[in-house]
This record gives sequence, structure tokens and C-alpha cells, in this order.
Amino acid sequence: MKSTSPGGSPSAPVIFDPFVSVPGTDVLRDAAIVQDWPALRRHLEDARDADGLAFGVDVLAELPGLEVFLEKVLAEEPHDVLARTLLAARYVRIGWWVRGRGDADSVSGDQFEQFHSWLRRAEQILVDVCAERPDLAPAWTTRIMTARGLELGQAEARRRYTRLAVHHPHVLAAQEQLLQQLCPKWSGSWEIAMAFAREVAAAAPPGAPSGAVIATMYIERWLAESEADAPEIASPAARDELCAAGTRTAWASATSLGPYEVHVHSAFALAFSLGGHARDAAPHFRVLGNRTSSHVWSYLNDPSAAFWQFHSAALAAETGAT
Amino acid sequence: MIADDAVDLAELADLAGFIDWTRLDGVPTLFAPQPGPITAGLFFRVGTADETLATAGLTHVVEHLALFDQNLTEVHHNGVTTDTYTLFHVTGARHEVVSFLDGVCSALRNLPVHRLETEKGILRAEASRRGGSPLAPMRLWRFGAGGLGLQGYDEIGLGRLTPEDARAWARTRFTRENAVLFVTDETVPAELGLDLLPGSRMPVPVMPSALPQRPAYFVGRDGHIGLDSIVRRSPAAVLLARIAGRALFRDLRQEGGYSYTATSDYTPWNAELATLTLYADALPDLQDAAVGAFVDTVAGLRRGPLEKELETARAALIAEYDLPDKAARMLPAYALDLLWGSTIYGPEQGLARLEEVTEADLREVSHELWSDALVQVPMGGLEWAGLTPAPTWSTSAVAGRRFPRAEPDVALVVGDDGISLTTVRGAVTVLFGECVAMTTRPDGARFLTGADGFTVAVEPTLHPGLTADVVGQLIDARVPAHLTIHLPPRAPESIPQPTPVAASPRRFGWRRREG
Repeated sequence: MKSTSPGGSPSAPVIFDPFVSVPGTDVLRDAAIVQDWPALRRHLEDARDADGLAFGVDVLAELPGLEVFLEKVLAEEPHDVLARTLLAARYVRIGWWVRGRGDADSVSGDQFEQFHSWLRRAEQILVDVCAERPDLAPAWTTRIMTARGLELGQAEARRRYTRLAVHHPHVLAAQEQLLQQLCPKWSGSWEIAMAFAREVAAAAPPGAPSGAVIATMYIERWLAESEADAPEIASPAARDELCAAGTRTAWASATSLGPYEVHVHSAFALAFSLGGHARDAAPHFRVLGNRTSSHVWSYLNDPSAAFWQFHSAALAAETGAT
Repeated sequence: MIADDAVDLAELADLAGFIDWTRLDGVPTLFAPQPGPITAGLFFRVGTADETLATAGLTHVVEHLALFDQNLTEVHHNGVTTDTYTLFHVTGARHEVVSFLDGVCSALRNLPVHRLETEKGILRAEASRRGGSPLAPMRLWRFGAGGLGLQGYDEIGLGRLTPEDARAWARTRFTRENAVLFVTDETVPAELGLDLLPGSRMPVPVMPSALPQRPAYFVGRDGHIGLDSIVRRSPAAVLLARIAGRALFRDLRQEGGYSYTATSDYTPWNAELATLTLYADALPDLQDAAVGAFVDTVAGLRRGPLEKELETARAALIAEYDLPDKAARMLPAYALDLLWGSTIYGPEQGLARLEEVTEADLREVSHELWSDALVQVPMGGLEWAGLTPAPTWSTSAVAGRRFPRAEPDVALVVGDDGISLTTVRGAVTVLFGECVAMTTRPDGARFLTGADGFTVAVEPTLHPGLTADVVGQLIDARVPAHLTIHLPPRAPESIPQPTPVAASPRRFGWRRREG
């Protein structure tokens, strides 16, 4: 975790919970809580596209205890593809929770053993699911995570993304998972990670959320460069690239970010803020209000405090400039 | 006079009107015409699977000796030694075919053993040129050092093979009761005779698996991925093999670009069973993706849709039934089935059985394929895909006299019952009672191989106190002479010298080829 020397006090609680901040997701959570699988499945299938389905599985997988419910569902309906996919995604979250978010050095042998064991359980479910439904976005998205955790290799992680992209070329959740693998911390390189981010951002139609990968990539780089005097993200080139990606992604006339609205604006708000481009962050903060995504913000020591600090700085910069 | 255990020609009833058959000098002979030169093939039910590690190479050398006297430089002819049969075949004019078979039978009756040492040299040269198939290790991992596993080993039995051994093998295995002939001719040439010694029909040996759990994997040579499985012979298995080959080619080569070669093979080896093999090579930087794609392709056979693939593969097989000279082209397969004692189906029944195959039948074979699978990967592991590592260590070590190495935690232990090389990670053990061969070198080294395929290397240079006398008393005296093979000196640089660096398990040499 990195310190951002947060100052000021929060003027309101920041909402990180996607079930509260993202319209339409509350029904997913409610169906999971009352253990109504037919309703949950129906709501998941109502997703507007592959990206939306991947988002639904992503947020549900964070729910503690979901695996108990899904194991019961599968005892009755062992072939249900969506229930298997969701269970596998949940297993991966459990595995990562056991592992912890720290560097490999901070993880004990026993933790690694358990981590890998959960990922293997997930993977074996998903090998079958992907054979049955090679177009199922959340299954491949989760398999990019298992490939990373099980250290199957760069080419294998990319193969999994490519298998998905054949059917759905613009799934942000999968792109951000592969981006992790392509970063130096998982044996990639900045050249490869940046090339991938630029490739998917350029290929995405205007208004699609994929441009956020550019913001995430710069945030990852900032995190890795921790003590640098002149972080890449502060450079004029980075600002230009973030502005271009933001315009195409979040401000295109046809913008329809769907469930990724909070996620996308959070990524750009944070990237501009970390780079010292406070004024560019402002419009993103205005869309967000007091909502944000824990995704990239969890890299900060005190995400709530940092949110309000950057939020105020951004709005002040905008006001001062006019 | 036909022996009771001779091949039963009643098995051929369904082929009436399609091909003809007779018994020629006691040997079942199948024939059907084909335009152009005549092809004939004489099969014997003997192969490498009938040997032991200490006699490995015996069948092959007999095959070579049987062909030595052939002076038919203009005629296409050859011998083939496989796991479970040996074949002599020729293509030429009628008189050339007659003369070839006459020569082979005559040589088998009275083997030209004066040529033995020369042929051994030729076989060694052949082996070093061949270099071993990338998938050969799969045999020893699955079957250990016997039966079908011997295809994974060098022909080390040549080292101690005597003229009498070769003669005895020819006399007992290359007999009229153990043979089947096919000829692509309208009739059996009147002047053709098969003057073979009487004997008895040899069943295909039983092949116990050396793998405690399947599906299993092991890490093999760089650049190669293989999967094999023993499946029941059926039209569904034939179709699945074709479908698998096409799927691998599509996924790994055409779409993925991870491989150049991606293919499958289906080879029956007795009346009931066949080996289904999937293979792909892998480009150096993309091996992880090639392995991943391979696993997914096999999962596709178990779980993915197969309906379209079934129709395509079936249409291709049916088209082969319509090719001209079908009967003549089927002769070798019928001859082998007759030799193995398989049920033989006529062309109509064969076609009908093919037509009956459903997607569910394919699915059943896919599950059979997976549940018995042994996979060879170039790197990493396959626990993630649900496979168990094939054992790289023996289950126990013997107690006895210890000879530690200079490097820490490695010792040779010689007991009354066997020998172990012990390390902190595990031990490799060969029990004297289960030793199938021991090779020796003039520098004092001994390699003992157990039936399960594990090998213990005894390197006196690495173990202080392991003198020639000790090796003689504690090891040589406990291994029967007929299992001991003396090999020529090694190059000096091949003789290991003590090193303080901890060795990787591979260096100790289990599951290794020795030659």
C-alpha cells in the first residue's frame, strides 16, 4: 500500500460498494442473499452484453458465503453453466483472500498451498465450462486470473484472453485481468503492458469502457515506481494520452458505460489525480459524486481520505481556472 | 496337420465374397486381387512386447537376419518389428514375391547367425540415427521396463545376445502356427510355399500399468506435448481419434499458431485394445500456451459439441470404403486381426458399425481417453488441469550398508533385498527380485532397472568405499547372470566426478534410457 499523505476530512461517507453505487446490481445481491438461484440467474442473464455479465459475476464473487449457496444449487443442478462459473469465480476470490494482496515474499508456504488449491478447484470447473461455452466472458475472465495465480505463463494468459476476444473483443474485466499479468510484477514488462492497453483502447468503439485500461495501466506504473521523482503518470505525454482515452471512453457522444460507469470514472479520476492533473480529474469526480470503485483506489493507504483529498483538489483546480 | 491352437479361419466367415482365404502349408493366407505388382506380407505374432529389458532387441535382430540373404535389390521389400507383431513384406512380380517369402522362411528355419555381430552393429547404428521418438518416454512411464514399455528403451539385450538365443527365438516364435500371410493376388501362386517350423500361437502379453493413478502427467522433452491412453477398440474410438487430430490441428496450429505439428494416432495392439495418442510440438516461447490449448482441446472432446465433427469424420471414413481395391487394401488389417484373434467384420458390417456411432458413443470414448490418460508436457505441471504427477520416486527405500556421496544428503544404500539411492526429496529403489536388467561398465558403474522402470545408477567414483570388491559382493552376486549386460567403456567425460553441488533428481537416472 502506498501513502498519499491524505489531508482534510471526509465530508460524506464514500460509497465503494458496487451493489449500492451501480444501478441494477442490488437485485443481484438480494437474490444471492435470499438464495434464489432462478432469480439470480435471470438477473445475470439480463446483462446488456458480455461485459455486463462479466461485471455481474465479478461483483457477486466478492460476496462472502456465496460458495455455500452455489454448492447447494449445483448439487441439484450440476450442469448449470452460470452457477459453475460463479462458483469458480468465488473460489478464486477465496484463494486470493487467503493469499493476501502483498508481494510473493509476504506469503507463507502454507498460504501458497491453499491459494493454489482454491485456484485449481476453480480452474477445473472452468476448463469444462469453457469447453461447453467458449463464448462465456466471465469464465474466460476468471481463467485469466487462475492462469496468473497458478503461474501458468504469459503466453497462456494471453491465449485465454484471445479465446474470449474471438467472441467478445471489448470485455473490460478480462482486459484488466490480462493487464495485471502483463505488468512487470507478474513477469511482464511495461512495454508489453502499455502496448496491450493502447491496443484494446484503440480497438474499442467510442463510448465503450475499454479506454479505462489506459488509466489503470498508468496507475499500475505509478504504484511500481513508488519512489520516483518524476513518475511517468505526471508527464505531459501521459496527461495527453489519458485525456484522449478519457474523451473517447467517458465523454463520447454515444457513451454508454453501463455498469462500468463508476469504475471507469474512478480510474480516470485517480489517474489524473496521481499525475497532478487535478483539473482533468474534476469532471470525473463530478460524475462520481461520493461513489467510487474500490478496484484501483484500494492501492492507496486510506482510500476514503484520498478520495476526498483528490476530489477537493480537482474541483478547486477547476474553479480556480475559470 | 494343424495344431489345436492354430489361428481359426472361421473368424473370416463375414468376409466371404469380399476376400478369399486358404491355409498354405498350415499358415492362414488371405488374398484379394489388385492391379499392378503383387504385395505380400507375412505376419508373426511376436514383437518387442514379448521381450524383456535384458533381451531387448531380440525380435528386431531376428527380423534383420531373416532378410540378410535377400538379393532382391530391385524389389521393394522390408521387415518391420513392432510391439506385438513382426512383418516381412514385399512388392514385385509373382516370382519375386515367391522367391522373397521362400528366402525369409528358409532363413527363419536356419538363421544365418554368422551374421549376428554385424547385424547388431547395424541395429546400434540404426538406433543412434533414429535418436528416439519424442514420445518414447511415455511408454516407460506407463508400462515400466517390460512389455509395451520396452519401446521406450534402447535395445540393450543385444549386448549379451548369443547365436543360440537368436535361433531359439526364431524357432519358437517365427512358426507356422504363429503366422498369417496376405497376398494381393487372385489366387495364391502355385509355386509359393511357406516352409516354417511348427510351433504354437503366442498370445499378446498382458500389460499391467506402472501408473498408480490416472490421468497422470510427467515433464518430458522440451518442445513436445503428448497424451496417450489405452482404449477399447471400436469404430467410435477410430472416429474420435480423427476428430481429436483435426481439433488439435485447428486449435494449436491454425488458430493458435503455437505448434507446427498437431496430430493423432490410433493403433490397435491386441484383439480388444488400442492406444490412442495425441501429439503436438510447441514453439519455444509459446510452450505454456500450447499446453493450455492442448488441455482445452481435450476438454472439448469431453464437453464440447461433437455432432458436426462426427459427421465430417464419418463421411471421410466412409469415402475410404469406396476407394478402388478396397479388399486388397484391407488385407493387412484383416491378417493382423486374425493373428490377434479379434472379431473380424466384413465391409457391410464395418460400414454399419460406423453408421451407428452416435455423439454419446464418442463422449464415452472421450471419457475413457481422459480417465486413462498419461500426458507428457515440456514444462510446468498439470495439477491445475486435475492430473496427478506420475511417480518420480519409489515408494520405499531398502535398509542396508550406506555409501554417502560427497554432496550432502545423497547416499547409496545396498541391502540384501535391493538397492536404493536416497535423497532428502525421496528415494529410488530397485529390488533384486524385481530387477529386469543390470548393465555394467568397465569403469565399475552399474545401472539396475526394476520392472517398474526405476533405475538406480551405481557410480563408484561418487561413493567413497564403493570398491570393485564391494560392488562384486553386494551387487553383482545378487543379480542373475542372464540379466547382466556388459557394455563397452564410456567416454571419460561421461564418468561422473564428485561435485558438492546438489544434484537434480534427473541426474540419478530413474526412468532413464540406458544404452
